[in-house]
Amino acid sequence: MVIIETSGLSRRFKDVIAVDDLTMAVESGEILGFLGPNGAGKTTTIRMLAGIIAPTKGEAIVAGHRIDRDVEKLHEVIGMLTETPGLYSRLSARRNLEYFAGFYPIDDVSARVEKYLKLMGLWERREDKAGTFSKGMKQRLALARALMHEPKVLFLDEPTSGLDPEAASEVRQLIRRMREGGCTIFLSTHNLGEAEMLCNRIAVIQTRLMALDTAESLRRRFFRRKVIVELQSPDPNILAVVRALPFVQEAKEEGSRLSVELIDSERNRPELVRAMVEAGGKVITVSEEQYTLEQVYLRLMNEEKVSDTQAHS
Amino acid sequence: MTLRRIRNILRKEWSLLFTDPNSALLVTLLPFAVVGQFILYFWLAFRFGGEGMLGSSVFQTALEKLLQAIPEVSALPASEQLLVLLLNQFQFILLLIPVMIAIGIAAFSIVDEKLTGSLEALLATPVRTWELLMGKTLAGAIPALLMTWVSAGFFLLVVSLLGWGNLSQLVLTPSWFLSLFLLTPAVAILSFMLGVIGSSRAKDSKGAQNIALIVVFPILALIGIQVTGIIWFTTLRTLVLALVIIGVDIIALRAAVRLFQRESIAIQWR
Repeated sequence: MVIIETSGLSRRFKDVIAVDDLTMAVESGEILGFLGPNGAGKTTTIRMLAGIIAPTKGEAIVAGHRIDRDVEKLHEVIGMLTETPGLYSRLSARRNLEYFAGFYPIDDVSARVEKYLKLMGLWERREDKAGTFSKGMKQRLALARALMHEPKVLFLDEPTSGLDPEAASEVRQLIRRMREGGCTIFLSTHNLGEAEMLCNRIAVIQTRLMALDTAESLRRRFFRRKVIVELQSPDPNILAVVRALPFVQEAKEEGSRLSVELIDSERNRPELVRAMVEAGGKVITVSEEQYTLEQVYLRLMNEEKVSDTQAHS
Repeated sequence: MTLRRIRNILRKEWSLLFTDPNSALLVTLLPFAVVGQFILYFWLAFRFGGEGMLGSSVFQTALEKLLQAIPEVSALPASEQLLVLLLNQFQFILLLIPVMIAIGIAAFSIVDEKLTGSLEALLATPVRTWELLMGKTLAGAIPALLMTWVSAGFFLLVVSLLGWGNLSQLVLTPSWFLSLFLLTPAVAILSFMLGVIGSSRAKDSKGAQNIALIVVFPILALIGIQVTGIIWFTTLRTLVLALVIIGVDIIALRAAVRLFQRESIAIQWR
């Protein structure tokens, strides 16, 4: 079921187009990674979808509510974690949550606050002022605040930015738990590894939407799959045998490593190995070349730069 | 739900107010400083000004109007007539207390939240703009108003300790009570509303304070108008003034909601 649907969503600030013609759909229960360089329109998109700023063109429906008409109802069903935790440093963790809970139709605020403080591992520090917390604890408290009313959609804007690796890992674990709870998460991040670890699908934005798919599909789209065969020692005969195979599109030798591009990576791999062994090759390992999401992302950004340059010339 | 949300804002604002030593001192000490300062000024005027001051053309018209409003004053010696004239100004001097507290507190109410980033999180909740502004206004106006009433009691106590109890009885007219219980709340709400508007429009806390300062001038003008006798605030005039300011309060709330642009707050304050 689609829970976020945008159609031609655009936002202009005077002469600057921040978001241009964004059309996409997010399924209920998925984590969508929203990637893009600084100034690409990620935060503007989140603010539009959260009903904080209005689009200049296009429309969007989030959890059944139009973002430009039904803002109060929309705010009841979304949660938002902004770039900065935005806590009241002189109030205790408990009071911070109670304050925000007071804006939602929650029957037993104390019980709800207790539940989320415990979930975030902050129950023991509930009476401590938020200002005394570490960055990671503040981020967890802000997450509790965004989640406390049990939203259908959660917008996270750079949730691990500025956190040390341990705190960032804790936050990622919490995000996974939220997904397990059925919450749809719209995750804006610069951390490509994080996006790959957490997200079902990845959207790349550079003012307009450049790609939207699973990390694996994006890899396939931008990089051919290659099989890496590690031999005991370099052997030019093996390279000739491999190149002669009908299902091999390209083969390269780098010392004792052969990089082979196959027509069908899964089906052709056993035949490749058999042919190499029969030709006397001493195969140590066979693996697939791994392309990271970062490589995919950089490829996308380079393509964008090239198309921009072409457009300008 | 609206009442619950406003109460929620009040509780939070009061928790923050009384955990900030500067704000807590401002609310609790400033009223006594204002009252003490003016009583000292009155005492100096009574002790050293006397008939000389009354002879001044500035006070002549005011004295005539005072005698019309409170005929018993004519039987008093000149120095005591001057004192009654000055004590009578206190109903407007008290108005300075909520105004000054508003400049010190309300001016920061939105700016602070913009700077700490809590406002964006707040704007993503179902709170309505008018609920937020009303909550913030009342959170400052209520303690300021209570302190103004405490100050009025303190004023009467000091005046009676100085042996001017019989004179203060003369100025405790219906106009005085109308001013204290109708005009002062209306002015307190207006001051805080303007402070909150300033805070939501300003780029920093200094700018917000400058906007909030605007409300001081009409109050000073009120004192000036009465002390020079240009207009004497009878019960009816005080009532009309209070009703006008209540009307302005309503207009100010509507204006505040229109001027509170969620978009520019979210965009300009990162």
